[in-house]
Amino acid sequence: MNLLLAAESCPPENPNCFHVPTLEELFEFAPLFGEGLFAFNRVSLLYVLAAIIVCALFIAALRNPTIVPGKLQGIVEGIVGFVRDQIALEVIGPAGLKFVPFLTALFMFIFVNNFYEIMPLVQLPSTGRMAVPAFLAFTVWCVYLVVGAKEQGIIGFWKNALLGIEMPAAVRIIYIPVEFAQLLIVRPLTLAIRLFANMMAGHILLAVIFIAANAFLIGFHGEFAINFKALPIGLVALAAGPAMVAFELMVGALQAYIFTILAAVYIAGSVHADH
Amino acid sequence: MNALLLAAEGGSEGGSGLSIILPAAAELVYGAISFVIVYFVLAKFAFPKLNAMLEERSSAIQGRMEEAERTRREADEVKSQYQAQLGDAKGEANRIIEEAKQTAESLRRDIVAKAEAEAQAIVSRAQNEVANERDRALQELRSEVGALSVQLASKIVEKELDPAAHQHLVDEYIQKLSRTN
Repeated sequence: MNLLLAAESCPPENPNCFHVPTLEELFEFAPLFGEGLFAFNRVSLLYVLAAIIVCALFIAALRNPTIVPGKLQGIVEGIVGFVRDQIALEVIGPAGLKFVPFLTALFMFIFVNNFYEIMPLVQLPSTGRMAVPAFLAFTVWCVYLVVGAKEQGIIGFWKNALLGIEMPAAVRIIYIPVEFAQLLIVRPLTLAIRLFANMMAGHILLAVIFIAANAFLIGFHGEFAINFKALPIGLVALAAGPAMVAFELMVGALQAYIFTILAAVYIAGSVHADH
Repeated sequence: MNALLLAAEGGSEGGSGLSIILPAAAELVYGAISFVIVYFVLAKFAFPKLNAMLEERSSAIQGRMEEAERTRREADEVKSQYQAQLGDAKGEANRIIEEAKQTAESLRRDIVAKAEAEAQAIVSRAQNEVANERDRALQELRSEVGALSVQLASKIVEKELDPAAHQHLVDEYIQKLSRTN
């Protein structure tokens, strides 16, 4: 602890001094160009790049699809097959086939934005910013409400959701407002926050590990002397780095999958009246 | 971590940390545009191509399977045809062999019977000839003996007076007889 205190007494103007970055420094970026609604910062750049990466991958793989697939086409077919078989058909059933493009777009866009977290030279999960998780959750919300209204009728959808299950009247008094709130508010909110918070936490975790390795191995050492108190902590932090990167790769893939499968679950609830 | 939290609470100038949690308007704009582009590229370009290809693939597989099935059925037909033909040919061969055997057997029997009959005929002919010859010889002998007896009797009658001549005559006769024999 006195190491940290010592560090805090170091003047921040000195670039060699240990400096704990603020959350704003970790997550907020000044615009590269533009202003107001179109201020284009690093996160926006990553969003646009993610779109380009996903589109380029699918266009390159499926521009001239062949019956006997090549490597790239095989990979993309594998991704689509996974979303179709493991998510759409598994959760929604045959009616889920028409949602495969939407679910695939969700999965790939989220995965690339999550993957930025461990991508060299980027190292920033753009889903750790609320913009995309919020927008995607809003999109899923719109889709399952519209699909529900289309498949069961607006009144039918709400009737099935709130009154569809047999239960004692006393329970129903609690059930109706809870279910109402869950359909309108809780679902999109949890969807967005789960993704956003996981990726934000992952980024903070990696930042802490990397900053610790940097600070304890380099920052606390004088120009000609090694600080033997700091060295072991630095080595531990350095060793933890690759493990945490691997862990965050798993978290990124898992969160993309969870977001997509929950979207499918919500859509399934709108397609089929029975719960 | 303390420092991080403190920084989060105190450091931000405008939003007191809330700006970290709420979506930034400009990022929302670019994020939304990006996702919408991804969705439209996938839905309007990638998936129609993919689905068309998958359809083509399944029809190709279907076609190939049907073709294989047809070929197999044809092969089966040809095989059963060949088997039937082979069976026919075997029956035919057996029939021919059987016929040949029968023919040979009857031929053999004919030949043997003929040969036996011929031998029988030769033997009986020879026996007949022998019997005829013997009869003829007996006949001749009988007539010869008769003539001789007559001759002898006349000679005896001619030379009765002389016993020596008689003896001579007898000897002569016997000699003559033995000569003729």
